[in-house]
Amino acid sequence: MRALSRLALCGAAASLAMLGTTPPTRAAEPGLELPAYSHAYEPRTVDERGVWMEADEAERGLRDSPLRIREAGLEAYLREVLCREVGADRCAGVRIYAMEIPGFNASMMANGTMQVWSGLLLRSRSEAELAAVLGHEFAHFELRHSLTGFQQRRRATDAIAWIGLWGALANSDTSFTQNIIARGIYRYGREQETDADLLGLRYAASSGYPASTPAEVWKNLMAEEDASAAGRNQKSKQKYTAGYFDSHPTALNRSIYLAEAAAKMPAGGDARAREYRAAMAPYLPRFLAAQIKRNDFGGTEHILQSIAAASGWSPDLLFARAELYRTRGNPRDLQVAAQYYREARAAGYAGPELDRNLGLALLRNGQAEEGRQSLNAYLAAAPEAGDAKMIRALVAN
Amino acid sequence: MKITRLLRAACAVAIAATGMSAVAQEKTGNKPGFALAPGTARIVLMRPTIWVGEQSTGGMAEPNADWTMQARETIARALADAQAGLGNVVISYDEGSSGEGALVSEYSQLFGAVAESVIEYQFFSGNRLPTKKRKDSFDWGVGGDIARLKSLEGGDYALFINVHDEYGSTGRKILQIVSLFAPGAAVTSGVHKGHAGLVDLKTGELVWLNADQQMGGDVRTAEGAAKRVSQLLEGFPGRPAEAPATAAAATASPTTGE
Repeated sequence: MRALSRLALCGAAASLAMLGTTPPTRAAEPGLELPAYSHAYEPRTVDERGVWMEADEAERGLRDSPLRIREAGLEAYLREVLCREVGADRCAGVRIYAMEIPGFNASMMANGTMQVWSGLLLRSRSEAELAAVLGHEFAHFELRHSLTGFQQRRRATDAIAWIGLWGALANSDTSFTQNIIARGIYRYGREQETDADLLGLRYAASSGYPASTPAEVWKNLMAEEDASAAGRNQKSKQKYTAGYFDSHPTALNRSIYLAEAAAKMPAGGDARAREYRAAMAPYLPRFLAAQIKRNDFGGTEHILQSIAAASGWSPDLLFARAELYRTRGNPRDLQVAAQYYREARAAGYAGPELDRNLGLALLRNGQAEEGRQSLNAYLAAAPEAGDAKMIRALVAN
Repeated sequence: MKITRLLRAACAVAIAATGMSAVAQEKTGNKPGFALAPGTARIVLMRPTIWVGEQSTGGMAEPNADWTMQARETIARALADAQAGLGNVVISYDEGSSGEGALVSEYSQLFGAVAESVIEYQFFSGNRLPTKKRKDSFDWGVGGDIARLKSLEGGDYALFINVHDEYGSTGRKILQIVSLFAPGAAVTSGVHKGHAGLVDLKTGELVWLNADQQMGGDVRTAEGAAKRVSQLLEGFPGRPAEAPATAAAATASPTTGE
């Protein structure tokens, strides 16, 4: 509650700031000051209006995209989480689009358009983890990173063009200098990411969510990447220093500086994990189905384990795990898959597709009679299914 | 967003460093045997895709919202004036109460992808596909399901227009002039391209496409936009041969928004 009332004070300070000529800094605990904020901000310069125009066009595409998850409630819920993170006054300037893309990402455009990918929703374990990413994206918007990034790229490419031409006139090789400047474009981008991380952390610390969560998001991601690498018989690739052409600092680096900064801030309260799980429950099966199609056995198993660690092996999780093994499809996997399908059924999984997929796994595993039984059960439950003809042909053989 | 921008910047760097000149490119494709008798068809004008800005010294595209807005207005007006010359009824798309806005915008995106494919793989030599080399072959479309759209029911054809203009900035122009003294470092200034296409709303077939990679006419001015629109509509299949502009068949005037 303390955190919330502090936020209300901040809002009052911001509205006062709009009236004054010089924007005074907000009244907040030392280390938690937020930039001055104005409602219904309009772009001011030629560059900024241009960047916003492109964002407006891109937002139309996002709004009409077939990938957008239009089911009632999801985008409204994401907005609630954002508003809790950055405050009701700030989140009013943002439109959120939930996109069915299984990667771990969210992004922000200059005009306040935020897109959130389903892969992020699947991986977050609490509202606080989701809010940490949304707060980071909002910080990009508040700090006008699209605009300053565009201007920096233009300065750099202008310089590269002139230096290249000078080299052509003087007949000397300028590629080294040009390379240095090109690297600067990426370094600038990484600095923006760090700035957004640190401002995002200040939102988190004033929101009531735990200040330690943003660092954990990156630790979780590293754990998943390690599991992915192990599943592919590869070495883990976690590094502290980013490469020249990396767009972001490394996850390891981010987790460390975020944890260090968070240690100096108030600890915050509840991460609201239970509320988050309840809100995501209706979407979990489809998010899991999309994740399984990514052909990432180790990473997907890691995600399943981490959800199960919090809420136990639900029927949906067991079914997803069966699917994961069936998709990898070694003889041993088919056997394990059949077992998980049966466990999912025993736990109460009701969809007819379970019988179909169990039957397919059994057939491929050479258990023809049992396989046919399952496929027949599927046909009995869903005689009008789109693949019924194909399954009938399989049974007949 | 960011990655495409960086790639674009990288391309710009490559162009500025190595020098590359665009060839004058203009091409029209017609479905063989297709003819549109004047005065028989209702043509729905879809929301035009218009982007106007500057080309930076390094070759980056710099969007300019004010110029783009001006171009939207001037091109809409020029299109309204040109309607008479098209010899058919042109109405602008209205979603109405169909709730099909998202689906129609998907079709617009699809048309854009098809048009780019025609331009890339059939119109201009270089990347032309072996199957698209034959003369009198123009076989492209967006799928017959477009006939099911309620909000397009009244129309026979959909007209799509795309305009992209980057005016060379002062820095780019100076770079271009200086580059004249450096052998092998040719720098071009400005990008002006566009295309217009007609889709049969009964079959989804692309019956006409006109693309120009080096267009004329300053779209920020009324006269320039008129010139640009006449270039975009060059070879329009329903156009009566040099008919006077008085054969007014037009009803509604195109609007810029949705």
